[in-house]
Amino acid sequence: MNAADPPIHDLEVWHAHYGPGTPAQAPVPAHASLAALVAAASERYATQTAFTTVVPNGMNGSLSFAEVDSLSDAFAAYLREELALAPGARVAVQLPNGLAYPVAAFGVIKAGCVLVNTNPLYTPSEMRHQFCDSGAEALVITELFADKLDALVGQTPVRHVVVASVPELFPAVPRGIVRAVQRWWSRALPPVRVPHARFMAAVAKGREHLARLDGAAAVRGWWQAVAPDATAVLQYTGGTTGVAKGAQLSHRNLLSNIAQIRAMGASHIEPGRECVLTALPLYHVFAFTANLLSFYDAGARNVLIPSPRPVQNLQRAIENTPVTWITGVNTLFNALLNEEWFVAFPPRRLKAAIAGGAALHHAVAERWEQVTGTRIAEGYGLTETSPVVTFNPLSGPRRPGSIGIPVPGTDVRLVDDAGRPVPAGEPGELVVRGPQVMQGYWNQPAETALVLEDGWLRTGDVAVMDPDGFFTIVDRKKDLIIVSGFNVYPNEVEDAVSRLDAVMEAAVVGIPDARSGEAVRVYVVRRDPGLTTEQVIAHCRTVLTDYKVPRSVVFRDELPKTPIGKILRKTLKAEVAAEFAAAPSR
Amino acid sequence: MLTDTETRLLGVMMALIMLGMGASLTFRDFLIALRKPKGVLVGLLCQYGIMPFLGCALALVLGLPPALAVGLILMGCMPGGTTSNIFTYFSKGALALSIMMTSVSTLVAVAVVPPLIALYSGLAGVTGEFVIPASNVAQVLVVLLVPTLIGMVLRKVNPNIGATVELLGGLLGVLVILFLIVSWVPRNHQLLATTPWPVYFAAIGLGLVGMALGFGLARLLREDLHRARTIALETGIQNGPLAVLIVTLTFSGEQQQQVLLIPVLYSLFIVLSSTAVTLWFRRLAGREALQRDNAKVGAVAAAAR
Repeated sequence: MNAADPPIHDLEVWHAHYGPGTPAQAPVPAHASLAALVAAASERYATQTAFTTVVPNGMNGSLSFAEVDSLSDAFAAYLREELALAPGARVAVQLPNGLAYPVAAFGVIKAGCVLVNTNPLYTPSEMRHQFCDSGAEALVITELFADKLDALVGQTPVRHVVVASVPELFPAVPRGIVRAVQRWWSRALPPVRVPHARFMAAVAKGREHLARLDGAAAVRGWWQAVAPDATAVLQYTGGTTGVAKGAQLSHRNLLSNIAQIRAMGASHIEPGRECVLTALPLYHVFAFTANLLSFYDAGARNVLIPSPRPVQNLQRAIENTPVTWITGVNTLFNALLNEEWFVAFPPRRLKAAIAGGAALHHAVAERWEQVTGTRIAEGYGLTETSPVVTFNPLSGPRRPGSIGIPVPGTDVRLVDDAGRPVPAGEPGELVVRGPQVMQGYWNQPAETALVLEDGWLRTGDVAVMDPDGFFTIVDRKKDLIIVSGFNVYPNEVEDAVSRLDAVMEAAVVGIPDARSGEAVRVYVVRRDPGLTTEQVIAHCRTVLTDYKVPRSVVFRDELPKTPIGKILRKTLKAEVAAEFAAAPSR
Repeated sequence: MLTDTETRLLGVMMALIMLGMGASLTFRDFLIALRKPKGVLVGLLCQYGIMPFLGCALALVLGLPPALAVGLILMGCMPGGTTSNIFTYFSKGALALSIMMTSVSTLVAVAVVPPLIALYSGLAGVTGEFVIPASNVAQVLVVLLVPTLIGMVLRKVNPNIGATVELLGGLLGVLVILFLIVSWVPRNHQLLATTPWPVYFAAIGLGLVGMALGFGLARLLREDLHRARTIALETGIQNGPLAVLIVTLTFSGEQQQQVLLIPVLYSLFIVLSSTAVTLWFRRLAGREALQRDNAKVGAVAAAAR
């Protein structure tokens, strides 16, 4: 592949599907840095509500755009003046959704520092890795989990800790009640033993410094010194292969993706009039770029849900706010559709929903459309691409199962192992080039070289393209099984096996085979305990080509899964490796 | 016996509890419950079918004198207590169903409770001075509807105030029972010592047997285990303070003292028995949730493919 190559596909094929208001070319970001975007939106929509956090019992707190601006200015001043952090210093933010998150995140960016988004549910050892790898000097952590720091004292570069509460910035009475309930009822507030500052004390300190300096102009000076290609965010990824790596997303990467998202949604986004439900965590790249940044830019009100599990936690938020957009993953939409209160009273002003993160199930998409009368558009992206690569247009015929077409200014190819484009209709690894592709992995040149070449990013996902330009993900490349030189995609075999009523769920991996190199093994959780190996294989013979039919059937009581319910083939593969290492002759 | 001040205080507290109950509700919740009214109907059947009958049956079987019988029947005829919602929460039950059962049984109480009291008092042979006039009961219930509606409106207008009032109402529900214990028990410890066992049996049995029967009927009507447990708690837990209030507004002097005995004993013991049952239910719910989660995660994974 060569950067100078003309696009392989006729880009017109994609442009033809763009809805009204979506430009064919890459939209040029209107700002030089994320801080400039925040400042501009804060000024334009000053008095409007920017964020509302709703806890399960309906208690809530809100901040206007002007308040977010002034609070994040103060937090930036705290970082630069009180903690004396240098421009480019890494600041980890480990918060669930809440009013403190945007203040902290925007504060870090305004200070010219680098935001390290961190999952609050991380274990101490995961935290240690992420803080050490990123070189984070300061940490903003939720008080719910601040006790995890006890185990890390002296083991990370973190020198300053700021502790924020879930109802931070709520009105006094609800804040007191929520904290009292957390403390005395749920017993969820462990003592914080490491030296720390409370979030609002840090903001107050920052205000003092701002009063001494010349206020907002000083902050402006800090962020105006940031180059567009400077790293804005270190977004950690790669739990699938080895340890987590920090994808360096520059201001330009994120600003481009914001512009691309705004362009794809243009027909359905009225600046200053939207209200987006943010149930996904903001530390995740999808919600960070799509909800936090893009909708702030659009002057929308962001409804932040600290914890969407159980899904009933969303009921009061949906009842009490005029939600026009929802972003989520398949699991969330499915869960909402199983709630009577949601089905009986779907949000009346809803315009569209965006699905990402994992494959959106057909049945869920159809039911969503029936219940809400609005479209659920599936997109595809990766941490390394800020994240959106492809998206389904909000108008035109619906394409169930498709991840859509590339967003403006993005080139996508499907290639074989040698990097050569595959013929149309054939599966190939999806590679992507565009302004949203990361700068590389932080301090990992070797890992970077494995995925980035001449501006093209290898995604590791295998996809096919329809004649009219729409993409469909087939499977993860590394899960591919090669039987006598033929490619077998586990998804296809799992689908076939799952069609048996007696099967609750199935997972497919490859096992070594003396004759064919690899063979297909299926792990099955039975619904009917009478199901036999022979029945599974006989059924597969009726729907699958010979080489795809499982050679080995293993019955299990349960399958290893991720917290959101995706089956962990990785774990099963490790089991297979151990099994065959122990008995290589089998 | 309660003084006038205490009675008035009790009235104010009841109004605040009802305000809190109203604030736990939205109009939408009602509409949603009406779409699939079965759960609430089963609950109502348990509430007003089982409990008054049980009260009357216990009174007859144990051969209670009229003053105690009327107290027991009154207790059986009461709508669900708001503390049931707290117990349901802790037992990991169906909270929405519990709130809805408490609210609906309270709202329809105006129409249902007076005739039930008249019917079962008659069956138990309560006559003359111990008859509770239907108008008294209806009056109290109507008056309590006002704060309930105000609570609902508060919730809609300002969710922060609504949720605050809801919590305070829930806490008051517990406080009122503590208030009864503190103000009534010390003054009556001699009475408690001389109270014969059938009275204790009636006061404790009404709640526990009510829960068992509620569970059985709910299962018979094909409610799942989870909801049946919620209905059981809801059936057994009556609005004790409301019964105390009605008694103090209806009777005075020695009579009041006698009639009050069972409602007060019930209110004291229901806290203990509900706590025990809640702990047990909680363990069962935890075990089932684990099984269900495993199955559900399976379904999610299947859907994600």
